Amino acid sequence: MPERRSSAAYRIAFTYSAGFALLVAVLGAIVFLAADRSFRQQQDAAIAEESASLLRDYRDEGLGDLRERIDAREASHPTNSFSYALFDGAGKRIAGGLNTKPKGSGWHDIVFVDPEEGADPARALATNLPENITLMVAADTEALERIDHTILVLFGGAFVLVLTAGAAGALILGGYLRHRLGRISGTARTVMAGDFSQRMPVSARNDEFDAVSASLNAMLDRIAFLLENLQQVSSDLAHDLRTPLVRMRNGLERALADDAPPGTQQTAIQAALRESDDLLDLFAAILRISEVEGGELIKSFAPVDLVALVQDVCESCEPAVVDGGRTLRCTIEGSVFIAADRELLAQAIINLLENAQIHTPTGTKITIEMIHDEASASIIVADNGTGVAVADHDRILRRFVRLDASRTTPGNGLGLNLVSAIVMLHGGGVTLSDNAPGLRVTLILPRLLER
Amino acid sequence: MRVLIAEDDDDLAEFLEHSLGELGHVVTCVRSGLEALHFGSVEVFEVAILDRMLPGMDGVEILKRWRAADIVTPVLMLTALGGIADRVGGLNAGADDYLVKPFAFSELAARLAALARRPTIREPQTHFTVGDVTLDLLDRSVKRAGRDIALQPREFALLEQLMRHAGRIVTRTMFLETIWGYHFDPKTNIVDSHLSRMRAKLNFDFDFDPIETVRGVGYRIRTDA
Repeated sequence: MPERRSSAAYRIAFTYSAGFALLVAVLGAIVFLAADRSFRQQQDAAIAEESASLLRDYRDEGLGDLRERIDAREASHPTNSFSYALFDGAGKRIAGGLNTKPKGSGWHDIVFVDPEEGADPARALATNLPENITLMVAADTEALERIDHTILVLFGGAFVLVLTAGAAGALILGGYLRHRLGRISGTARTVMAGDFSQRMPVSARNDEFDAVSASLNAMLDRIAFLLENLQQVSSDLAHDLRTPLVRMRNGLERALADDAPPGTQQTAIQAALRESDDLLDLFAAILRISEVEGGELIKSFAPVDLVALVQDVCESCEPAVVDGGRTLRCTIEGSVFIAADRELLAQAIINLLENAQIHTPTGTKITIEMIHDEASASIIVADNGTGVAVADHDRILRRFVRLDASRTTPGNGLGLNLVSAIVMLHGGGVTLSDNAPGLRVTLILPRLLER
Repeated sequence: MRVLIAEDDDDLAEFLEHSLGELGHVVTCVRSGLEALHFGSVEVFEVAILDRMLPGMDGVEILKRWRAADIVTPVLMLTALGGIADRVGGLNAGADDYLVKPFAFSELAARLAALARRPTIREPQTHFTVGDVTLDLLDRSVKRAGRDIALQPREFALLEQLMRHAGRIVTRTMFLETIWGYHFDPKTNIVDSHLSRMRAKLNFDFDFDPIETVRGVGYRIRTDA
């Protein structure tokens, strides 16, 4: 596991919560500015309205009435939040409690002396009246500041809260991710150390981690299978090689003995040649299978008429089958195209025909049929011989598997395995079934899509 | 005939040199790719046997250079690589034939003989006569002593191969490669079973069998009849 500092999980979680907190801060600033601006406009509008109402009184009733009005309004404090001042030409306040200096006509931000609170900022509108009289209507901006303050406190708090919660969340999330990934990499290390039975934990939640774990497990299963296969093949191969080599060696040793009867040497050499030919065949078969399983040959695939190919193979093998005392009947017609290596497919079918001859009594009838639908074509090679026990059907497709009954017949236990490898290379499959009596081998091959 | 052998395996090289010498061939044997390139360029051989893997320069490269220099000596490529892809690669490079190690010496000898007598200028021969047997590729007819003999296509092809190589051995694998296009050993006696049918039709009502079985190797049509 990487250090916390370099952990992607922490980095992502922290970046995310920092970004979120920043967003809250920006939102706070926007709300603050918008509220402040809107409140100021409202306040100005209220001052202007109050001022206009007083001026209407002044116009209708004159200065004396205006002073009374101002006094009356001030007296209604605190329901009235405005302060007033009426200055004469000399700048002397002749009415109102707004303790400030007179200003020129227009809007002003002023500081007045509040009898209770002392110096206080306010927003004021000054209007010049005839006879050098100035009317000032002011509203305390304290309320506005309180609102601004509240907004700032709210959003500041929210910012800190988001930041804290984000950081805490990041720590928890990062820790969780590290924990999940840690289990996967821990298992991987155990496997690397040699314990191939270990598998990644997969929970019932079926989340992304479980999907990754499941894929890794599938990969491990595959590797384990291949390893096991390799070990199996190695030991089978060693066994299959030792027997003929020992036989060959014994024969040669006997021929070399001083008291060997005349002619023994000739026979021994011939036997040794036969044995070595069998061994070479075994190697050729193994190499062929691994070449087919390697998958490289797919590159040379071309459209092949399966019907023509099977007919051709039947025609080629029929005389040999008849010479062996069996019959071969091929009932395939029409044309079905598949992407294939012509020679490999021919080899697969010839191998099946060969099996049908080696492992059956004389007089056996061998048939080749085909059934097909839009997606696939099945070649069925069947005989009415002694058959294979259903329990052994899957087993005999495997490498080097020879049933006890066939120990004495020629072969290396690779024929069906090669057939299986060839058909799998073509994207198909091999199934064995009971032909009652006899064996029925079905090669299912995907058809080439019509262009 | 003069044969050039380029083979770096001492045992195999000596065995080939000795065995081909016994057959009456004049053998030049080299162990490296550069020597092979040199000898093949300055001397005239009727056939060359090149190992695919040679120290200095591999068989395919030598072959390419010879062909680029208009040296048309027929080449039989030897290889330990039995894969289909390798074989195709060797033939694409211009090899006339290809043999996978290990091989039976009789197989090599038969193929060498077939290679060496290949006409340099390919005149498409359509009519063959050996003894009292005639074969015509154009109307796909076979006659023996003037009498028509009806053969199946594969049987016809077998006889054609024998007559193309009259007097020389045609091995089972040569038949399989040229007639069936199979480069594997199909245990089943495909060749023998077809050949015995062809032979029976050819010899029907005749006492003399012009086709000779060479045990363990192949068949030959006799020219001495």
